[in-house]
Amino acid sequence: MEGKGNMVLEAGVNRAYEVLLDPAVLEKCIMGCKKLVLVDDNKYEAELSIGIAAIKGNYSSTIEILDLEEPRHYKLAVKGEGAPGTVEAVGIVDLTPDGESSTLLNYSYEAEVGGKVAMVGQRMLGGVAKLVIQDFFKKLGKELKRMEQSA
Amino acid sequence: MDKVIGKAVTRVEDMRLLTGQGKYIDDIGTPAQTFQAAILRSSSSHANLVSIDTAEAEKVPGVKAVITGEQVKKYLEPFSVGVSAPVHYYPIAVDKVRYVGEPVAVVVAKSRYIAEDAMERIKVKYEALPPVVDIEGSMEEDAPILHENVGSNIANHRTFHYGKVDQAFEEADRIIKHKYLFPKYTATPVETYGIIANYESSENQYTVHANFHGPFVIQAIMAQALKIPSNKLRIIVPKDIGGSYGIKAGTFPYMVLLSVASRIAGCPVKWIEDRQEHLSASSSGTDRVTYIEAAVKNNGKVTGLRMKMIDNVGAYIRAPEPACLYRTHANSTGAYDIPNLHIDAYAIMTNKLPTGLIRGYGGQELYFPLERIMQRVAFELNLDPADVIRENLIKKEQFPYKTASGGMYDSGDYMKGFELALETGKYEEFRKKQEKARKEGKIVGVGLACIVEPSGSNMGYITVALTPEERAKSLPKSGCSEAATVSMDPMGSVNVRISTTPSGQGHETVAAQIVSEVLSIPADKIKVVAELDTSTSAWSIASGSYSSRFASLGSSAVFYAAHKVKEKLMKIASHQMKVSESELELRDGAFYEKNDPTKKYALKRAAGSAHWNPLSLPEGMEPGIYETYYYSVKAAEPPDENDLINSSVTYGFVADLVTVEIDPDTGEVRILDYVTIHDAGKLLNPLIVDGQIFGGLAHGLGGALYEELVYDNKGQLLTGSFMDYLCPTAPEIPNVTIKHIETPSPMTPLGAKGLGEGNTMSAPVAVANAVSDALTPYQIEIDTLPLSPNRIWTLLNQAKQNKNKEVTV
Repeated sequence: MEGKGNMVLEAGVNRAYEVLLDPAVLEKCIMGCKKLVLVDDNKYEAELSIGIAAIKGNYSSTIEILDLEEPRHYKLAVKGEGAPGTVEAVGIVDLTPDGESSTLLNYSYEAEVGGKVAMVGQRMLGGVAKLVIQDFFKKLGKELKRMEQSA
Repeated sequence: MDKVIGKAVTRVEDMRLLTGQGKYIDDIGTPAQTFQAAILRSSSSHANLVSIDTAEAEKVPGVKAVITGEQVKKYLEPFSVGVSAPVHYYPIAVDKVRYVGEPVAVVVAKSRYIAEDAMERIKVKYEALPPVVDIEGSMEEDAPILHENVGSNIANHRTFHYGKVDQAFEEADRIIKHKYLFPKYTATPVETYGIIANYESSENQYTVHANFHGPFVIQAIMAQALKIPSNKLRIIVPKDIGGSYGIKAGTFPYMVLLSVASRIAGCPVKWIEDRQEHLSASSSGTDRVTYIEAAVKNNGKVTGLRMKMIDNVGAYIRAPEPACLYRTHANSTGAYDIPNLHIDAYAIMTNKLPTGLIRGYGGQELYFPLERIMQRVAFELNLDPADVIRENLIKKEQFPYKTASGGMYDSGDYMKGFELALETGKYEEFRKKQEKARKEGKIVGVGLACIVEPSGSNMGYITVALTPEERAKSLPKSGCSEAATVSMDPMGSVNVRISTTPSGQGHETVAAQIVSEVLSIPADKIKVVAELDTSTSAWSIASGSYSSRFASLGSSAVFYAAHKVKEKLMKIASHQMKVSESELELRDGAFYEKNDPTKKYALKRAAGSAHWNPLSLPEGMEPGIYETYYYSVKAAEPPDENDLINSSVTYGFVADLVTVEIDPDTGEVRILDYVTIHDAGKLLNPLIVDGQIFGGLAHGLGGALYEELVYDNKGQLLTGSFMDYLCPTAPEIPNVTIKHIETPSPMTPLGAKGLGEGNTMSAPVAVANAVSDALTPYQIEIDTLPLSPNRIWTLLNQAKQNKNKEVTV
């Protein structure tokens, strides 16, 4: 499964980059994220709880941030596993300045699932991925706005 | 007493089933202190098992044991397999996982809820390996290997050469060939697997209640795996099994797994499989690639066949595989007189669920390419498909007919059956309608299929997997034994014990009919006991419910056991009446003197004296009335040095005619009419017969139109629920017309043949032929299944695009 999309962030590119990689922000914005801990340079462990079709459950995940080119580009590698099965995803994020206080974000992703999630969730997966990603950026946008306002 | 055999009597089983008094595995109760099991399964299709951390799971209150492959292995040897490739198959993953759904750990707990919750706390580390799922891909040089010690993914390879194949192809007017892929699909009984296993250390014995239906040769395989004498593995099968269609032969690895779990946990353990487990990890049919070539004369006569069959047995070859390749070996040329045959047969392994019996076993995989190529012969030679079939069918006067590969077709009148199908389905009329409909832009077609339905397997056939030289090193296997016991108690009441482990086919009813007629006692006075207990029942390695063997073999054992009882009672009556046996006849519950009907001796009295007054019996006769008969057939010989094998005992015939209409916008195939003509010899109970045919046809239509276990290229199963794995339900079943002709089998005392699987074998290709016929104007070849709207729509659109391209060129 793969997909891509873009959105406009209401912040300068440096600020946007910084916020995108702020663990506190990530924890808030990732759907079902119960816990996010930095365990190594650019490596996090996370507890995620997501329901796909009838398969609800917890995933212990590692999130690695790779190919960092501050403040324009990075890659996210997510590996999760839990009772409902496994998820592996790679996301690529590119930031382009769009004036002083606005940044264009392009993203693409590839994801694979295994186990129960694949057996019964395959039909739903595209929709769920879209939902999770859109939800993330929506929350991130709000978070950015809030931070900009309070700054 | 009137004839009872052959009457459409209603089923004795139905009263209890319809009033909720059926005794399925989940109804029979459990020993005290029985714990429940849940099985953790691999989410990876191919990986090394790095570690399994069970510590957290063990801490959950109510958990008795968490068991991994390492622990289980101590009590087991790998299951023995019928091929020379050294595949090590355990019922749980040991070093590697090789398919999604493979057991990795067993949690034994107070309740299933606790077991499932604890299961979530087990941490398994996998090291991913590249998977292989494609049949031909598995045979490539650089393909990932599932079993390193085997050295390749090929579990079995044999070639067979019968007749003068090369000559037939040299002398042919045309050679017509194509590659076909039959998909992996399954059987979906409403009742899933269920097991209650109990190890008693005092006796070092395993007692296993399971809805396992044989073949009971697997009892020996299980005992061997458990490293115990076979009388220390007691298997008890409940009298009611909620459907199987073959797949419950596949309970055996779980029976062994739960047995060891009981031993390790120190308590009886119960496990009922859930639906997702069933679809992903029970068993299934094989998917098969067949390259088929026909040597053809211009009049449509096929003089020779070459088939390269590559059967995918999944991650482990396990008993009774590679039987799927060989069960139909004797009838490889179907209903046709084709004396020259070459078969190149492979069983290969990929990262998919291991396979086993399902209804039709091997038949649908065989007849799909065979009947598709027959239609292709007609199309390429511009002949009517009906005429090509006529040209090739075995003629009535050729019976008993010896097939190229050693089969002995016992009886039949194929032409009569086929013509009846054409007539009933109004073939000629439909062709005219079709012409008109095409002008109106409708897509309609008619499909034909003629198949031979083997039943009652010769236990020797599976050794065809070995070369004649390999076979010579071990003892030969033959026969198809089935046992039945008929007893009379002191009051003259009759019990019949059968070992055919029915799963809904009504064996109790038919057994009662047979005994009723032989002993001239009303059927409702006869009690048939269908529970099988390997410690107390009469059974054989061939016993069980598969290969439609009740009608051919089970019924014969019952018939002869009843005759043994009759003979004994007759001797008693003759002794008491002082009249020779030849002057006596049995009717209405008494022996009558033929010449003087006023003189009679009640059956009940004869039975009574065998119990109450044994001293009155003829000299040398044993007291009691308890007779067991083991039935086998001489024609079930082991394969010979030329690999000739009569793989089944009886061979029925099915001729199908199906008409379809395809929606050009959605690609949906609608069946207009389905006609099926059966010749299953003498019918024992026409009501049950038609029920079996309807069921077999529904399963066949599932294979034709809906059902497939779909895996992605990583070996992930994508159809793990009934939302994803589509089964036909009542509204999908079309109008069906069933007709019978009866050419009695000379192989069985009642002339009966098996019949429950015919349409499972024929319907997939009959429908494919109809769809292909409908799509002739678009030049579309149907070479795989199921014919889902998606597939047809795609084919139609491709065809339209190709046409447009042609126009623009």
